[in-house]
Amino acid sequence: MQIDNLNIKTPSSNNIIDNDFRSSKPPVLEALNISKSFDMTQALDGVSLEMRPGEIHALVGENGAGKSTLIKILTGIQQANQGELRLSGLPVKINNSQEAQAYGIAAIYQEPMLFPDLDVAENIFISHQDQGFFVRWDKMYKDAEKILNDLGVRIDVRNPAIGLTIAEQQAVEIAKAISMNVRVLIMDEPTASLSDHEVNQLFRTVMQLKQEKNVAILFISHRLEEVFEIADRITVLRDGKHISTNLCSAVTKDGLVREMVGREIDQFYAKDETRTVGISVFSVKNLSKESTFSNINFELHKGEILGFAGLVGSRRTDVALAIFGISPADSGSIEIEGKLVEINSPQTAKKLGIAYMTEDRRQLGLVMSMSITSNITLASLSKYLIRFGIIKREKERKTANEFKNRLQIKTTSVEEEVGILSGGNQQKVMISKWLNTQPKIIILDEPTRGIDVGAKAEVHSMMRQLAEKGFSIICISSDLPEVLALSDRILVMREGRQMGIVESQHATQESIMSLAMGQSKESNYA
Amino acid sequence: MSIILKKLKSWEGFLVLILICTILVNSFNSEAFLTLNNQINVFELSVEKIIIALFMVFIILNAEIDLSVASMMGLSACALGVLVESGIPMIPALGLCLMIGALGGAFNGFWIAVFKLPSLVVTLAMLIGFRGLARVLVEDRSISVFPSWFEALGQQPFLGPFPLSLIIFLGCTVFVVFVLQYTAFGRYVYVIGNNQKVALYAGINVVRVQMYLFTAIGVISALAGILFAARLGAVRGDMGVSFELDIITIVLLGGISIFGGKGSIYGVILSILIVLYLRNGMSLMNVTGHIQTGVIGALLILSVLIPNLQKMIYDYSRQRRKRL
Amino acid sequence: MLNAMVALSIIVIVVGVYFSVRKKINSVKVNNISNLLHRLRPETLRELILLLLILLVVIFFSIVIDHYLNARLFNRVSTSVAIIGILAIGQALVVLTRNIDLSVGAVVGFTAYFVGQQLSQNNEMTPLVAICMAIGIGALMGSFNGFLVAFCRIPAIIVTLGTMALFRTLLVEYSDAQTVLTVNLPQWLLELPRINVVSYEGLHFRLVVAVMCVVVILFHLILRYTSFGRKIYAVGSNPEAAANSGFQSRKIIFITFVMCGALAGLTGFMYLARFGNITVVAGSGLELKSVAAVVVGGINIFGGSGSIFGATLGAVMIDLLENSLIRWLQISEFWRDAMLGMLILCSVATDSVVMKRFRKYRLKKITQKEEKL
Repeated sequence: MQIDNLNIKTPSSNNIIDNDFRSSKPPVLEALNISKSFDMTQALDGVSLEMRPGEIHALVGENGAGKSTLIKILTGIQQANQGELRLSGLPVKINNSQEAQAYGIAAIYQEPMLFPDLDVAENIFISHQDQGFFVRWDKMYKDAEKILNDLGVRIDVRNPAIGLTIAEQQAVEIAKAISMNVRVLIMDEPTASLSDHEVNQLFRTVMQLKQEKNVAILFISHRLEEVFEIADRITVLRDGKHISTNLCSAVTKDGLVREMVGREIDQFYAKDETRTVGISVFSVKNLSKESTFSNINFELHKGEILGFAGLVGSRRTDVALAIFGISPADSGSIEIEGKLVEINSPQTAKKLGIAYMTEDRRQLGLVMSMSITSNITLASLSKYLIRFGIIKREKERKTANEFKNRLQIKTTSVEEEVGILSGGNQQKVMISKWLNTQPKIIILDEPTRGIDVGAKAEVHSMMRQLAEKGFSIICISSDLPEVLALSDRILVMREGRQMGIVESQHATQESIMSLAMGQSKESNYA
Repeated sequence: MSIILKKLKSWEGFLVLILICTILVNSFNSEAFLTLNNQINVFELSVEKIIIALFMVFIILNAEIDLSVASMMGLSACALGVLVESGIPMIPALGLCLMIGALGGAFNGFWIAVFKLPSLVVTLAMLIGFRGLARVLVEDRSISVFPSWFEALGQQPFLGPFPLSLIIFLGCTVFVVFVLQYTAFGRYVYVIGNNQKVALYAGINVVRVQMYLFTAIGVISALAGILFAARLGAVRGDMGVSFELDIITIVLLGGISIFGGKGSIYGVILSILIVLYLRNGMSLMNVTGHIQTGVIGALLILSVLIPNLQKMIYDYSRQRRKRL
Repeated sequence: MLNAMVALSIIVIVVGVYFSVRKKINSVKVNNISNLLHRLRPETLRELILLLLILLVVIFFSIVIDHYLNARLFNRVSTSVAIIGILAIGQALVVLTRNIDLSVGAVVGFTAYFVGQQLSQNNEMTPLVAICMAIGIGALMGSFNGFLVAFCRIPAIIVTLGTMALFRTLLVEYSDAQTVLTVNLPQWLLELPRINVVSYEGLHFRLVVAVMCVVVILFHLILRYTSFGRKIYAVGSNPEAAANSGFQSRKIIFITFVMCGALAGLTGFMYLARFGNITVVAGSGLELKSVAAVVVGGINIFGGSGSIFGATLGAVMIDLLENSLIRWLQISEFWRDAMLGMLILCSVATDSVVMKRFRKYRLKKITQKEEKL
């Protein structure tokens, strides 16, 4: 994105003067020492944040740093275990999203939730509690047009919301917030799905909110150049902890990256001795899918772990879904052991020896109410059948117990419901399910998400063993140290494009992060 | 011991309780109730419904619904009548009827599984459509040209005291229990009903499973139509109207969740007994058919209302405990 | 009294039409056909196509049937549409919230019987009381449905499948298998279907049709101009967002069922006026027709989009086909139901395919426009 063609009235040099003036205004929303934990993970640990009227406060951090959790607490969707929220200095409790709305706190997400069949103008005004009994269409259209015009957005308010692009939907959400006299606007990765032109428009809108309506804005983004362009202050979170809060002018991009990523490299994640990697078994050429990803090229070798690194929205999962046949690509080719293949369905992919383990184990990966055994054999049931399709239960149980021991799945019995296991153990069940299909190529999507340190180590060692045995693994992960430690090579993606493939020996966390954020470009060598 | 107690607390346990009460009340009201003759009669009278209900379990477990089954039953019965009337010998005619069922079911399945239209609307449309076709075939008349051996099949004892239709029902029961509890196909049905996406991501061919299901229930509905024709000895254009109510009630009362993925076939077997005995008991008490239908309607609502209330009370008490 | 009602209904119709059309006129600046297509909402386009199809059907039948296109056709169809049209409105309200009401046929039967019986025993009852009784009982039955669906969270298909049986049983029990006989009914009731608002050379615009028009316009106005009406659309369009926005979705769903019941009650009254003889199977099958009218009329079965006019057009189409098929001697009248089923299926299938394509087309046009900027 080119910064030059952003026509904003306040060039960055004025920020310093304005900021001094603004820092004297009392904060409208404060989070003090917020801590929140889910099961095993400590999502937030003593995080404090304050938002001042007319200020754009950026929140940056890696995936899993705690940003989403903080937003959910500020908007009332979740409640903190410890800590306090203050509105204009007074302590408040925000128990649900309606209360947050009443306090003037609104949030805009990557995926807005509008009413697709209602007009844009209606979408803006329909949640208002104080509307009269009768709908005055003329007034509603006029008011909606005014708000959108003030924002500098051109949307036909008379069209139903279903035809809008994401950028337009976001604009409508912002208009909705304005119509309800928002005081604090939280924007969670708003630019992730926008084109450059749309981003410019969004920023114009945001600047207007800041200057004309004195709204306090919390802006979360991975695109550091945007953060620098628009933010007044920047807060860095890492591993659930508050790392720093500084004026925008007081930090540099490199400094930020270091803070976001910086941790001592644990021995835990010690780099392997180089594995011997065999011949190419899987190659992807110019794989593209309209509006999703383009020109993905790589080769996968026997016994290799290829890491897929990138930020949220980089579309790594979409590439995996294309390879696995759930949403096939539009163009490009896939070859397995030199032979061209066409993968139109997951059944074909399985037959070709490809396995895909999803990152969303609750909704896509496991049937929570079924037993561990049934889940493990679900993708490979044909191995357990005798005549007439009867399932050999003892054989199933035997397999399940084997996996239970091999992966150390902590459960009293393999007949237990998968839903009651801990996250780490559920992950192990999912891994077992796919290992049981005896694949040649395994794609793991965030395999250690939401599981504790011990289970992570187990999963890592298992992946290494598999590589040694000759399996080829693609590991999609947002955990940089993990990617670095496990992978032989790392493919970095950003917004559907391939930024480069690096040998992990020569890579550092900063270099990967830079690639992922588009700071630098590496040559693509397969 | 605790396993037995756990089973008792479950929905099946609840059904066993109701069943026992029903049997007791019925035997108290009429000494004819427990005779073998009456028992056979009870099943015979409703054999078409309960056979379809067995297979409806598959459909509802799959988180779909099929409202057109009774109309398909009527259609195949009328088709049989028309075919026989025009001189086609019985055996090929029977075969053609079953094929009509398969085609109708596959037609439904195409729109639902491949085109992804909602099953409620498609089968509602076909409820009207199949009945319409039946009326086109038979118009206002009543056809009763069946050979006597055919009518005898429906009513006379075939194996010992049991008529053929009962044998078929028992066979279907065994088949359904077998498929659901012991085969991969049955497990796939559960998984798809539970979460279609997980099934897709696990590489299960959801379209194929659903096509099989709807085609199968089409064939079974056709079979039920044949049995109905055999039992009555005649076919009319308006046979089997509102059988859907009983069928769906049996399935839901048996503990199969309307949302799919949950429930056991054994519960359905219990609910078949309950509904049959309930109707029988009411008949023995000279309660009219209309009231019986009303009772079944109430039963349908209750079978979903009671678990819902349980859940709401449970959630409420959990919330209260959290606050304290 | 009757004249006052007639005058009032004319005024309401005129006013209603004016309001509904005014908005469309103001908002559409039409340059050419493609501009028009672009500016039209998909739902409106669909209704226009349906209107066109109705005209085509009329033309088709006037070719294959002798003496088809005459005043009698209009009289007969409009009188019959008056009944199914009102019922379709009630069903439309429920379907818009992503529910369904299969018990309306039984409600029609029960209210027709109940009011008929009361009138038989008490010929002095005024029309107003009779109508209010019908609507009230219908609303009561509708509230039973609404309670179970909205507050007990039982899926509407289950509830209304059950109440369809329950209400029918209620009718049978209450009637003790007696029929309401025409001879016992007051004269004004039996005359009602024949009263004309205005006649022109044999073309009768009957009072019952006017009543339907009033109801259509009334509910169209409610759905379009009250926040309650808009919330009905919202609940069906995105139930989650509705819950998050602080709507009282359950109250709204409850009220739509009550309204549906009330309209079914009104339909019962008109059914009574038309047929006189009410047996225990009165109204059977009307529920399926009302769903058919709604689906054919373009209301999305998942709720959220569609209009009252569409549902009314759907009712007209269905009734027209039925009435015409009877007179087409080539094809047996028994094809009626089979054809209805196919009609529903075709409507849903084409909606699913065509609407998606049309929306994609519009989206492309919009993004193209934007890229030009």
